[in-house]
Amino acid sequence: MLIFTIRRLNLFIFTMLVLTLLSFSLSFLFPGDSIINITGAINATPYQLEKIQQSYQTDSNIFWQYIAYLQHIIHGDLGISMSSQSDIGSEVLNLLPATIELSLVALLIAMFIGVPLGFIAAIKHNKTADNLILSISMIGYSIPVFWLGILAILTFSINLGWLPSAGQISLLFEIKHITGIQFIDILLSDSPYKWQAFSDATSHIILPACVIAVAPATIFIRLARTSMIEVLETSYIRAANAKGLTFQQIIFRHAIRNALIKIIRHVGLQFANLVTIAMVTEVIFSWPGIGRWLIESIYQRDYTAIQSGLLVLSCFIFTIHILTDFIYAALNPLARGNKYGS
Amino acid sequence: MARDKIYMEEIFPSPFMQLWQIFRKTPVAMTGFSCFIFLIILAIFAPILAPYSPVDGQLNMLLLPPAWHEDGNVSFLLGTDELGRDMLSRLMYGTSLTFGMSFIVVILSLVIGVVIGSLSALTSGLKSSFLNHFLDVILSIPSLLLAIIIVAILGPGISNTVWAVVIVLIPQFIHITRYAVKEESRKDYVLASRLDGASPFRVLYYSIFPNIVDRIMGQATLAQSAAILDIATLGFLGLGAQIPLPEWGAILANGLDLFYIAPWTVYLPGLAILFAVVATNLVGEGIRHALKLRKDR
Amino acid sequence: MNLLDIRNLSIELVSDNQRILAVDKVSLSMKEGEVRGLVGESGSGKSLLAQAIVGVLDDKWHVHADRFHWRGIDLLRLSIPERKALLSRDIAMIFQEPMACLDPTTTIENQLAEAIDTSTFTGFFWQKKQQRHAAAISLLHKVGIKSHTICLKSYPHQLTEALCQRVMIAIALARKPILLIADEPTAAMENTNQGQIFRLLASLNQLKNMGILLISHDLENITHWTHTITVMYSGQFVEAGTTEQIFKKPLHPYTRALVDSSPSANFHLPAKSRLMTLPGSIPLLQHLPIGCRLGPRCPRAHQACVKAPSATNFHGHKVSCHFPLTPLKPKRKGIKEVCKHD
Repeated sequence: MLIFTIRRLNLFIFTMLVLTLLSFSLSFLFPGDSIINITGAINATPYQLEKIQQSYQTDSNIFWQYIAYLQHIIHGDLGISMSSQSDIGSEVLNLLPATIELSLVALLIAMFIGVPLGFIAAIKHNKTADNLILSISMIGYSIPVFWLGILAILTFSINLGWLPSAGQISLLFEIKHITGIQFIDILLSDSPYKWQAFSDATSHIILPACVIAVAPATIFIRLARTSMIEVLETSYIRAANAKGLTFQQIIFRHAIRNALIKIIRHVGLQFANLVTIAMVTEVIFSWPGIGRWLIESIYQRDYTAIQSGLLVLSCFIFTIHILTDFIYAALNPLARGNKYGS
Repeated sequence: MARDKIYMEEIFPSPFMQLWQIFRKTPVAMTGFSCFIFLIILAIFAPILAPYSPVDGQLNMLLLPPAWHEDGNVSFLLGTDELGRDMLSRLMYGTSLTFGMSFIVVILSLVIGVVIGSLSALTSGLKSSFLNHFLDVILSIPSLLLAIIIVAILGPGISNTVWAVVIVLIPQFIHITRYAVKEESRKDYVLASRLDGASPFRVLYYSIFPNIVDRIMGQATLAQSAAILDIATLGFLGLGAQIPLPEWGAILANGLDLFYIAPWTVYLPGLAILFAVVATNLVGEGIRHALKLRKDR
Repeated sequence: MNLLDIRNLSIELVSDNQRILAVDKVSLSMKEGEVRGLVGESGSGKSLLAQAIVGVLDDKWHVHADRFHWRGIDLLRLSIPERKALLSRDIAMIFQEPMACLDPTTTIENQLAEAIDTSTFTGFFWQKKQQRHAAAISLLHKVGIKSHTICLKSYPHQLTEALCQRVMIAIALARKPILLIADEPTAAMENTNQGQIFRLLASLNQLKNMGILLISHDLENITHWTHTITVMYSGQFVEAGTTEQIFKKPLHPYTRALVDSSPSANFHLPAKSRLMTLPGSIPLLQHLPIGCRLGPRCPRAHQACVKAPSATNFHGHKVSCHFPLTPLKPKRKGIKEVCKHD
């Protein structure tokens, strides 16, 4: 376990270095002066410009420039946005929790719909239910997410009027921004309209979360189906059958546990996919998250914001990867650690 | 001495022919395959087949609904957009842009990815672990994000989109080629040819490649559906094809402003994208299914 | 009264356009307290037969028989679930590779407890749990596992193969079966462990008067433990009789070849000479010969072997061959000349 931790930590540090290297190189690749790209100080006076140049060590060779850049990042200074001239670090910290909230809810929806459907498809293998679920999952996998979002807005918001189509919460509620995650903020605030705010926030999050959840849900369906089919063909399921257990008992007591173990590992890997989809969905639903901010910065050619946004987002995704790897390895030796204890 | 034939004679076709025979027997896969071929033909012959020009509009036929609607006109089968351009022709030209580009993208990244992947699979030790980690890092960055960044560097435009998606898809091919080559080189027949004195390249080309081609083809269809979606998304976000190119995502973004008056300008391109991706996925599923069945034989 | 009476059982695989007869008209009968061996090469359909008796075959196999009686009850008239319910109470089965037949994510205690019939327990929730625990311990003692606390707490991969096989036998004993089918129970073990398992089975047979159907591919190995033996080849019935008859006076060329191929029969051969074997190998399911399936390999095959032979009974010693080794009925013409060189 210790060696595993060290290797993972090693990988983590290596990846962070590569990502910072990538974002550092971006400042040179983007058009314009590299220093202005890194700091975003378009309106700097010559005096300020010289100070900045000193702190980023533009006179020395590129290695020292990189070290200087790293130092700035470690201190939390990601530069200022070219368009809004506000500190990127704090802006990112404000927006990231909203994206996390949306992605988590979408991941949960995808898991709770995708995995049982996949199990059902595997149990009714090669029958009508299986083919139906497979075809629905194929279509869900192929739909472009922006089209789906637009259609969802059209049906549910405009034609049926059930759910709102933009924003995180209605502007009538004034919830103080504490953590950034709307639900926690609502619970922590002392507004007298807590429960209305809660239900309002729920209705705002349902549509975008469901739109995001479609594609990962189909992947989960396929994963769950494959893993359950594999489990149902093993010897121990056949032995349990011969033991005289009923079909239901076999499925619920043995098959599901073994099939889930195989899937859990992939759940974390889907997160990157999910965040990508979330970015596009945030634009459509005007959800105040980091994806929408990033895409808007690209429209406005705000190079500093793009650079820092890329760095933060990739680091975040990679941290989630490592965490899920870790959790999986921590849970696993409980069942597969020691040998021969008779 | 002639022995009576007690056993049936069986002809063993080559692995590829086996794959093709199993593929041919699956009706769903064959439907997908015929749609795929249809799209390729459309992509190549769009200029000849399309009734109108995709760029010049007819100013007296603005915002016509599709022909089955009461206000529609049968000479504009799928209606027109706000500049009077025929939707059908736009969609057909869009096939060559979105679908055709994705095809080229996949072929380019396949070639580059397989070459790099197989070369890197031949190395081992520190170099290979370094490459492994590097690949892991790149694969963990979401593909759309990477494509958006590359387009942000290079600037918008359809050729830059193509390069961006190519660069994004290459790591996937490298990864799968490496994995497949490493897996195959552990098998005994590769050892046998190596013991015969074959150079690594010869072993790679004659022994290993024929056996991993199928897996790479399966991955290529996955990559193609991802490429179509990425090109369309970039077009939708305004970072890909610029006006007035009739790329499907761009048509969709165009129609977004007039959604209430002319919903078909949003429905139709979306349906086109869905159709293309479903066809590609069906072919991919068919190949993977046939691969599994062929292994079970 | 016969425990199990099977006459002309056939198992067919129906796939696409082919119908393959994997098991072709096999007859089997067992008395109470009898240890019968079922011998055949791998591919001879013996596992299929055992699974068909217990009823754990997939839907793709079709089973039909002229007679399939269990303790006088005609099983062919019952529906599949009724049949399964009846048989799972009285017949138990243990498999090859015992570690793979136990659920890797459940403790041994839970798996044992599943098999125990809890309808005889009385009392509340926790009392039942204690009774289950006590029942599991007594089962483990019955199969000779003394250190039950460690065993009950562990997972299957923490035990050895032999121990797992004992646990499987304990699970099989939980329902107090009348017949135990052992499908190559010792294939994955060394000789010392094999001896232990066979001794255990023999003691169970003697103490509880439990019938055992012992399936194996090693004729010499099981002759020590069985009362009667049935030999199968490529899905067809070959010979059946007491162990003495089969081993000392085989009537079928195949049985003769099996007996001849054991090391003890080859002691008298000079050094560096070929061992006595049948040429060729067992035919694949796709290339089954018509009539007697040993035909292509049999040294005594003639034109008549193109038609499948039926079983003839010589004083309880059944043989299915047109030209058996020892002529008993001189009325049959043509056999004397053929068998002169025997």
